[in-house]
Amino acid sequence: MTAAPVAIPEAPAPPGAVRRWLSSPVGAQVTAAVVFIGAWQLLTLIAPRVPGPIEVAQFLFVEITGGSHGGIVRGQFFQHFAITLQRFSVGLLIGFVGGLLVGVLIGLSGLARALLNDTVLVLLTMPAFVWAFLTTMWFGITWQAPVLTVAFTTFPFVAINVAQGVRAITPELKHMSTAFEVGRWRQFRHLIVPAVAGYIFAGLRFAIIVGWNGILLSEWFSGQAGVGFRTRYWFDANRYRGFVGWVIVFIVFIVVVDRVILNRLQKRAFHWRDASEADFIEIEERQVGL
Amino acid sequence: MARVAIDHLSKTFAPPVKDGDPVVAIGDISLEVEGNVFVSIVGPSGCGKSTLLNILSGVETPTRGKVSVTEDDRQAHLGYVFQDARLLPWRTVMDNMMYVRDDGEGGAAKAARYLDMVGLSHTHEMFPGQLSGGMQQRVGIARAFSVEPDLLLMDEPFSHLDAITARSLRDHLQELWLATRKTVLFVTHDVVEAVQLSDRIIVLAPGGRIFDDINIDLPRPRRATDPKVATLQAEILGRFEEMQPGAAAS
Repeated sequence: MTAAPVAIPEAPAPPGAVRRWLSSPVGAQVTAAVVFIGAWQLLTLIAPRVPGPIEVAQFLFVEITGGSHGGIVRGQFFQHFAITLQRFSVGLLIGFVGGLLVGVLIGLSGLARALLNDTVLVLLTMPAFVWAFLTTMWFGITWQAPVLTVAFTTFPFVAINVAQGVRAITPELKHMSTAFEVGRWRQFRHLIVPAVAGYIFAGLRFAIIVGWNGILLSEWFSGQAGVGFRTRYWFDANRYRGFVGWVIVFIVFIVVVDRVILNRLQKRAFHWRDASEADFIEIEERQVGL
Repeated sequence: MARVAIDHLSKTFAPPVKDGDPVVAIGDISLEVEGNVFVSIVGPSGCGKSTLLNILSGVETPTRGKVSVTEDDRQAHLGYVFQDARLLPWRTVMDNMMYVRDDGEGGAAKAARYLDMVGLSHTHEMFPGQLSGGMQQRVGIARAFSVEPDLLLMDEPFSHLDAITARSLRDHLQELWLATRKTVLFVTHDVVEAVQLSDRIIVLAPGGRIFDDINIDLPRPRRATDPKVATLQAEILGRFEEMQPGAAAS
């Protein structure tokens, strides 16, 4: 008896170029952005007081390039943005360094954990607007208020993440370091920091988001300049396109920092992992010569 | 010359469960090791072999008794080879070698020399994840020798490797030891390994006490397939049977 021939189904045709692009990560992101802008435009038809995307884009163009409209002076975009960025950077640096040191302490020492862990948790639960109010009450309308708002809001996010990371370091590597009498600074630099890098990035990512929220609120309440001040300026002036325009600047900044700066830093910090995955070589055990 | 003096050492761990009994890792051990000798500590699982090394390296503290590890009346400098390589995965092979050193370029040359001695001179810029398990362990051995310790502690360094790789590394360890003549305390549960490598074998019994102390007087280099090694191994295994509960009665 001979076997009946088996029909082999034809392989499905490869998807077209457009379909391939749409299903790529970039295509999906562009699609999401287009859908969002379309939905926004539709919303303006239902709620006429909501400024549409074109209206907001026109506003931002003038705000960035300069000019005047309705007696309100424009063209100070970069000036305000630079002021906020400066305050934000200083506040984030304070919060990050403080959080890193306290996080390492909590992670390494039981006594430090007992002393500081609850305090950090309490700080973590404090909303950004509380810090914005408090710092304004303490320092008035000064540069310290927004800087410290950022520092206070970012500090606990970094500290709690770093502490978790330090506690997750494998005891075997600590044991190895102790057995070889490796100094504390060398352990901090070569063992602790790289081991908690993932936790540091997670903490930093949250810290940047809450810190940026904090500075917006602080400048809204007490600022004489900056992104928050400018957002409130247009809100008070009843120019919603200005308000929405600055909110978009606020969001775009976060997205750019995350995608461009943090992602690149993260890739650099973890290049050893990429190298290990990509170039793993199983070399024949060689004869070991003296 | 390195000198290890252990005087009535005992180590007890807290009960693993509530209301349980404390775990006696080391009962009562007194022991001296002196000179450029290779000493193996052999025994079944749970007899306190690794705990003994951890106490000597300062990772654990004794419950009772004293230990001292000296070199010409000063605290001896230690090297350690673990069961697994324990390399920093985010640092290159050379950076891992330098992690345990506190010197600069002179240290780098020394580290490179020991990497060369274990046949890994081509791996300086590689990450541990790019190496096989056997190669990683060779880096661990080179790292321990490169700090030029007064006393080298080795805790079952070949137990995680396949038999062929382990056999090859044993031969190379022997060659490395003959070239450097460090004082070595080598923990293993493999009697063949102990006979091949050691000048002296200390047999620990369950409960963490010394059961036997055997001098091995065979010419080096030794091979695992050497009939004299096999005979001695059989003899020691025979003594092991006396360690089993009820052996004395029978």
